[in-house]
Amino acid sequence: MTQNKPVRILAIAPTARGFGYAVMEGSRRLVAFSNKSILKNKNERTLVWVEKFIRRYEPAVLVLPAVNAADTRRAKRIKQLHQRLVGLATKHKLKVKLITTTKVRERLLGQVKGNKQSQAEMLAGLFPIELAPRLPPKRKVWKSEDPRMDIFDAAGLAVAFWPK
Amino acid sequence: MKSLPNYLQAQRKRLALSQEEVGFLLGLNGMNKGNKVCRDETFAREPSLLDALAYEVIYGRPVRELFAGLHHQAQQRVAERAKVLSFRKVRNADPRREQSIIQLAETASVNPINP
Repeated sequence: MTQNKPVRILAIAPTARGFGYAVMEGSRRLVAFSNKSILKNKNERTLVWVEKFIRRYEPAVLVLPAVNAADTRRAKRIKQLHQRLVGLATKHKLKVKLITTTKVRERLLGQVKGNKQSQAEMLAGLFPIELAPRLPPKRKVWKSEDPRMDIFDAAGLAVAFWPK
Repeated sequence: MKSLPNYLQAQRKRLALSQEEVGFLLGLNGMNKGNKVCRDETFAREPSLLDALAYEVIYGRPVRELFAGLHHQAQQRVAERAKVLSFRKVRNADPRREQSIIQLAETASVNPINP
């Protein structure tokens, strides 16, 4: 369902600590993006936030990561949240587009191999004004992932929605 | 695609300003200066004309571009009224009047600008 028509899309990247979101109008315009950290009742609160964003931005398509794809391994909670997000999109009569990790990498890096840092750097290059200031430093092996990376996960999904 | 009521958040992030800083530049008083800006950005409030013009100065973009959705809405409403006005009969009507009303009525079919 990749398309050239200018539509507004909302990309949601659920993560262990909350979720990242990105709203795009056409392939070059990033309207809104951020990450939300949720500590308790993660699924319930994420759904409340996503519904708020759907009402606010009135997107035509909800872009989600394909959590059941062969190249992906996600927690049970994330899979349950994913199902409920699809249900929420149906309730609001939105189209749902599932994008695999491999497709995001192929779209951003031009190859199947690569890491999240190089994807984030690529996105920061695509949107230097919006995303470059949010680019986290390269993760040290003994550190956990920077919460800002959630934004790049969502932005990657949003960019991968559009054809090259 | 229908434009959003405003694109204030995107413009603020472009300049890397905080809501509190924009509130200060708008001349808002009190501790919670950023709250009003937040409500503007989330479409919970329509700013006054003075605030809208201040946003234009801060972000360096025209009001019609910052408030694209509202501009489109106003454009549609004026065009609808212009159509009604075009049916009104006026004695010795000025051709310039006719011309301007027809032009306004035609703007309804024009797509909104995309900032």
